[in-house]
Amino acid sequence: MTIIPADHSEHSLEQSLDHCIKCNICTAACPVSAVTDLFPGPKYVGPQAQRFRHERQPSPDESVDYCSGCRVCNEVCPTGVRIAELNARARARLVAERGIPLRNRLISRSELIGRLGAGPQAPLANAALSFKPLRVIIERTLGIAREAPLPPFSRSTFRSWFRRRRTAQPVATKGQVVYFHGCAANYYEPWIGRAVVAVLEHNGFEVLLPDQRCCGLPLLSNGDFAAARRAHEANIALLAPYALRNIPIVGASTSCTLTLKEEAPELLSMQSNTVRAVARQTYDIFEFLRMLHERGELRTDFRPIERTLPYHPPCQLRAHRIGRPALDVLELVPGLQLIETHASCCGIAGTYGLKVEKYQISMDVGAPLFDMVRRSGSTMALCDSETCRWQISHGAGVTARHPIEILAEAYGLVT
Amino acid sequence: MRTTLVIGAGLSGLMGALALAEAGLQPLVLAKGQGATHWTAGTVDVWGADERTPRQAIHEIGATHPQHPYALIGAHAVEEAIARFRALTEAARYPYVGGLERNVLLPTAAGALRPVALMPVTMAAGDVRLGGEMLIAGFRELRDFYPPFIAANLAAQGVAARGVYLTVPAAFRRREYTTVILARMFDDPAFRAEIGRQLHTQRGSATRIGLPAILGLRDPLSVVADLQRASGAQVFEIPTLPPSVPGMRLFTILRDAIERFGGRFQIGSEVLRGHGEECRLTAVWSEAAARQQEHRVERLLLATGGIAGGGIRTDHMGIIRETALDLPVRAPANRADWFSPRFLDPAGHAIYTTGVPVDPCLRPISMHGEPVYTNVAIAGATLGGTDTVRERSRSGVSIATGWAAGRILAGNAS
Repeated sequence: MTIIPADHSEHSLEQSLDHCIKCNICTAACPVSAVTDLFPGPKYVGPQAQRFRHERQPSPDESVDYCSGCRVCNEVCPTGVRIAELNARARARLVAERGIPLRNRLISRSELIGRLGAGPQAPLANAALSFKPLRVIIERTLGIAREAPLPPFSRSTFRSWFRRRRTAQPVATKGQVVYFHGCAANYYEPWIGRAVVAVLEHNGFEVLLPDQRCCGLPLLSNGDFAAARRAHEANIALLAPYALRNIPIVGASTSCTLTLKEEAPELLSMQSNTVRAVARQTYDIFEFLRMLHERGELRTDFRPIERTLPYHPPCQLRAHRIGRPALDVLELVPGLQLIETHASCCGIAGTYGLKVEKYQISMDVGAPLFDMVRRSGSTMALCDSETCRWQISHGAGVTARHPIEILAEAYGLVT
Repeated sequence: MRTTLVIGAGLSGLMGALALAEAGLQPLVLAKGQGATHWTAGTVDVWGADERTPRQAIHEIGATHPQHPYALIGAHAVEEAIARFRALTEAARYPYVGGLERNVLLPTAAGALRPVALMPVTMAAGDVRLGGEMLIAGFRELRDFYPPFIAANLAAQGVAARGVYLTVPAAFRRREYTTVILARMFDDPAFRAEIGRQLHTQRGSATRIGLPAILGLRDPLSVVADLQRASGAQVFEIPTLPPSVPGMRLFTILRDAIERFGGRFQIGSEVLRGHGEECRLTAVWSEAAARQQEHRVERLLLATGGIAGGGIRTDHMGIIRETALDLPVRAPANRADWFSPRFLDPAGHAIYTTGVPVDPCLRPISMHGEPVYTNVAIAGATLGGTDTVRERSRSGVSIATGWAAGRILAGNAS
């Protein structure tokens, strides 16, 4: 095996610039520059502007802040330029030079927000956040768009459910799996966590739930690399003991798992053996289930589900470069038909679409997807990523569910 | 589990995937990035190296050039592939016209004349032999498309032409303009109504109007019809520099057809290596976050392109490699023989004939003619064996060998 030098990521990132042949395929695919002049496109802001970025000189342009970080440019680039990483680092430089606005400091701390809102106080918090005059005040004071989709907090967290459940667990025969639930399943959508646990246990795994922190993606995408580093270091300390024993770490939030696999190590230049061990043991839930199926170990005692549903593979799933594992697994369910949307992005890009100056951009980016979902005539759409689901519900007016919920239903599991 | 793989999402990979999908094999198309479709003009050149018609050339080439991709698969297979391609585009209501009986000369964005066998119907009125005065119209905002320059070059070749600039209507003004941004504007009836009015005013005595190939992504035929009605002249598209809107239309048509037959796409996943046992490829690995993804292989179509497309890589040491599976490559023996001293040498440069040697079933073979993998077929520019750019056979070879390789792998080649 080749030894990768410590500065491998920076080295190859800089080198990847030279692979740009200026074909503009990224510009053609970029969902943001398609709808706004504020972002001139990945080629200009990425490989071209990068030539003018130097450690000892001020950032040459601010338009990089309008990159939503969706990574569509990386996906389509025929020569392998890592444009999204260039942009994320450039934004962090900008933040380091100018400081991080209070609004971005706040919305990037999803764990803190979750702790404040979820629990017995949830109804009050939810009522407050759906009270329009208050949202107007929040918009004027903080810059969080009044219309932006904020999910309701859950009255009880996923972790408290997991701790308290008393039902007899099936006997684990296949070994142990760590579940990395992320902030969304814990504070907003505990039913997704319950579906993950049910599906894994149904397939013979013992589900472990070690302490965990926010993966830090919102911090990375808001350019707060110092806080993101603290988050990732904490998670490595909590997860490495499992990863080093080859226990898989499975998540159903595609952005959390991508952060553990690649975003945090790469953007923060964290290359230790424990960081790599955690990255290598991390799986998207459907990637994990597909692997089981390839080994002939996935239970396929599915009940038929006679439905045709639109499925949107979120950008953060496509950035794993693992194909469409949810489609691969769900096509085993008799009767179930999923139609891939081919929309490049829903627009929300984590916290991007919450910002008052970017809300309309995010809605315009998502418009082709909303249109496609509406035209499908279905009242439900599937998507693996939480903020994308909230955006799809907001933009297309349908229920958006995680594919794992459908899988649990096909297994006949009560979650 | 998908074990029928296609590597590469250019024209050859897509045609191969279509053949495999139609055979019910549910191919997975893996590609490093968006395919060469977005780089091409969207026309089909089959043969333009000499005065022979495309049909004559594909039937005769075996006699003089037995290693040519057309000779390997045979003229009948080339005709079959072209017929399938035409039927597909027709069904998608974006028909390609022309044929193998003769080449049509179409103007390029430099005002040169380029021979093509088939073209989307939106380009058909560009045939210079149709006669009559041409108006070439464009936008100052679209770089690399200069109507006065195109018109002057056409006039120098005896084609009466005049170049004018149009104005982007105020409601549509943007800071940045690309072919794709303008194509989306043409999708909007309000935009093309305004452009139609401008064309009517500017038309003068022209009977045909050439515009950059940006006349809509969704329904280009309606755009052309609307502009013709408004201007009172025939309207045609002239291919632009990348990203190519006609190429993108073609990609969408092929992708939708492949998916309709059960195929799937995974773009952004470069295949890095393969593993085989006893002349059978059993698995390949693609690049992915944190660890490579393993794909088991029952059959595989390799269409990653040649030196220009990234399927074959050369380095300054003179080492030449096929990038996905590390297959044997046939190339000039010495580094010094790669290039002719003259850039525009009519004989081309030897390095561009570099490719993976194959048997008559397009299966990769060693330099000694022994089979490497019997469940792999090679298509498109990866085949090498000829300089398709100089020959003007690039997309013809891609469509024909892609389709043929897919049919062979599916076990139903004619």
